[in-house]
Order: sequence, then structure tokens, then C-alpha cells
Amino acid sequence: MSTHSGTGTKATRGLGIIVLLMLIALAFFGLVFSAEDVVQGSTVRIMYVHVPAIWVAYLAFGLTAVCSAVYLSGKNRSLAWDRVAGASGEIGVLFVAVSLVTGSLWGRLTWGTYWVWDARLTSTAFLFITYIGYLAVRRLGGTHRQRARRSSVLALLAIVEIPLVHFSVNMWRSLHQSASVADPNAKVQLDGLMLFSLFLGLFAFTLLFVWLVLHRQRTLQLEDAFADRGLDAAIAARREEAVK
Amino acid sequence: MDLTPRTNSEAIVEPAKRKRRWGPVVIVVLALVFGGVVVTKFLTSAIDYYCNVDEVGSRTGCEGDRRMRVQGIVEQHSVKQVDGATSFVMTFNGEKLPVHYAGDPGGVFQECIPVVAHGRVVNDVFESDRIEVKHSNQYVQKNKTRLDKANEEAAACSVSAD
Amino acid sequence: MEHATFVIGSWVLTAGSLIAYAVWIIRRGRALSKHATNEEMPWT
Repeated sequence: MSTHSGTGTKATRGLGIIVLLMLIALAFFGLVFSAEDVVQGSTVRIMYVHVPAIWVAYLAFGLTAVCSAVYLSGKNRSLAWDRVAGASGEIGVLFVAVSLVTGSLWGRLTWGTYWVWDARLTSTAFLFITYIGYLAVRRLGGTHRQRARRSSVLALLAIVEIPLVHFSVNMWRSLHQSASVADPNAKVQLDGLMLFSLFLGLFAFTLLFVWLVLHRQRTLQLEDAFADRGLDAAIAARREEAVK
Repeated sequence: MDLTPRTNSEAIVEPAKRKRRWGPVVIVVLALVFGGVVVTKFLTSAIDYYCNVDEVGSRTGCEGDRRMRVQGIVEQHSVKQVDGATSFVMTFNGEKLPVHYAGDPGGVFQECIPVVAHGRVVNDVFESDRIEVKHSNQYVQKNKTRLDKANEEAAACSVSAD
Repeated sequence: MEHATFVIGSWVLTAGSLIAYAVWIIRRGRALSKHATNEEMPWT
């Protein structure tokens, strides 16, 4: 048995400390140092977790699609790609959920309602459901390679939803405001420390995502290894019988 | 080595079977059902969430006698609150539409801000039962030391009008 | 702070869910690694 405990390494522990410090700094900048908005007041402070959360979800699903494409296209189909795709997809679902909940609370204060069936919210809900389906498909059973093949195909189909969600506010009339930063045509206006706090949030959440993926794909690797043990034991038993 | 399939089940060392799991199957089915509901909502509600004030009565889907959502900017100095009801004028592209709402609009409702009102036109007045505030994508900091209330309102107007 | 319940609530929900997930991953990794060989843990 291993003498090492857990999925951490010196590098992930160092990264974890940096992430923790950045998240503490984000809390100070987002909740204390940055100014209130002239229209929304302190409600604007929800933006510093809501926007980074959906950014990480986009990033996570993008990584899922890239790893799935590599798995499907490679001659040596390493399951490591599939495990990173699965880990990233799971973390993406968590961040979409965070984005939906915080967005709903923000919407109640600014729009006057928790939910509307406009283009942005409806397409985001569809994105959330699609990736819950992706995670369920990964757990349907079969061999690791069967899991990797079917989930990779689904990941490549699902990724087309990201531009649909992001540009929904430009393509259709929506209650949700258009992008403040991630739009080449937008006139960026985030006064004072607002823009800095937003970018701090984006950076901190991105590093948190990297840390989570590193750990999660290692636990998936252990789960796969344990599932393989039964199969390995059967093959070893057959070999022993053949030798006798 | 003999690799033919075994017939004597007792001699088999059972590998970890990867059986069909029903929990994920149920989740996949639920995802398909809810996905269908969301797509239906998208096609019936999300595309063109509202009509603009200048399209009421002139654009398909914005006929005056049907229930609809109308978007416009709350005209400055037009908001009046009497007996718990709120009336104001919405403007867009030079057209105006008087709105009557039986309540106090929520959110950050104020003059000069774009809103979406749900309801129907009755005697040239838009009788609304729901108001949603459409916030801009620009954020202006409130500076308590330099801006008095009037200036804040003016700043809000300039942000909303963009 | 206006609407403190909603604003603080958003942050607490975000932090709570992310911390809960991170703790679950770490604990699961530790539990699995107790029964793993060094070959099954190439990062060590």
C-alpha cells in the first residue's frame, strides 16, 4: 500500500495556499473596498462571485471538450484525458449552479424577480441540465473505454451551447444585461475598484478551478484503478490456472 | 493459455462487474425531460422576450389587444404613486406609452431606467401586473462625498440612457 | 449595507458550496489513497 496520503503534492498545496489568500483578498475588495453602484447600491457586490462563477463554468466545459477531442482523436487513447474531462465537467456543473443561484438573488434585487424565461437564463438552464446529463452518462456503467467514448462525443456536442449562452443577450432581446467586459463592442464602464475586484475574482476562481481539477482527476484515477483491480485479479487467476 | 469462455461458474474469480446502474439512467431521462421543457420555454418565451414601445400595435406578436411584455425607458418626472398603484410613462424611439401598475414595482425601479412591463393595452393605457427592471451593463460608483442626491439621479439617467 | 441578506447570502452560498466540494474531494482522495499502491498514485 502507498505510504503517501491523499491526492495532494507540494505543488497543489502551494497553489491551494495562493488560492485561499486570493479568495480572502477578493472578499475584502468585493465586500469592503469597492464602491457601491449608483443605481444598484451594494447589490453590485454579487457580481464579484456571479461573473467569475460563470466564467469558470465556460472554462471547465471548454476543457472538457478539448480533452474529449484529444481522447477521441489520439492513436494512444489515454484514459487520463477522459478523467480530466470528467473532473472538469463536474466542477463546471458546480460553478453553473453557483452562477444560477447568485444570479437569481441578484435578479431579485435589480429586476424585481428571481427568474425570467429570457434568452440568457433559459439557455443557461439548458446548459446546466445538459452537463448534469453528461455526468449521469459517465456513470451509466460499462468499461472505462465505453464511458470515455460516449461521454467524449456528448462533450463535443454540448460545447456548442457555450457561444449560444454567451451571445444570447446579443442575438435575442433579453432582460439580462449584455456583457460588461467580455464583449468586443461593449463600452467598459466599471468605476474605481469595481473592475479590479472583478478581475481579481476571475483570476482567483480560475486558480481555484485548476486546484480542484488536479485533485478531482486524481481521485477519479484512484476510482478507476480500484475498479480495475477485480478484473486484474480475474486475469491473474486464469494465468495461474494455465501455468498449473 | 486457455482463453475460452468459462462454463463452470464456480471456478470463476468474479471481476468487479460494471453493471448497468439505474440511478444515472433515471437522471439521464429526467435531464431529457427537463431539457425538453427548457427548449419549449426558449421557443415560446425567450426569443424576443419583449416588444419595444414603438412596436406596440405595429409588429407581429405585439398587437395591442393581446397580453405581451413591453420594454421602454421610464420617462423622467412621470412616476406617480397613488393609493398603492404606480403610473408612469415608458418611452422608446420617440414613442410613448402610459403604464398603470397596481402596486409598487420592485428591483431598482426608478426614472430613466429601462423596464419590461407585462400586461395588455386597455383604452390606450398599458395595464401591467408585473414590472421587471432592465439594468445596464455599466457600473458607476456612488461617491457620497462628491455627489449629492440630485447628481446621483442624473448619473443614473445618463447610465440608463446608454 | 443595503440588502445585506441577499449580498452576504450570495457570498456565503458560493463559499459554502465550493468549500464543501473541495473538502469532499480531499477526503475522498485520502480515503482512496489508504488502499492504493504507489503504482496507482503516479503523482507521489
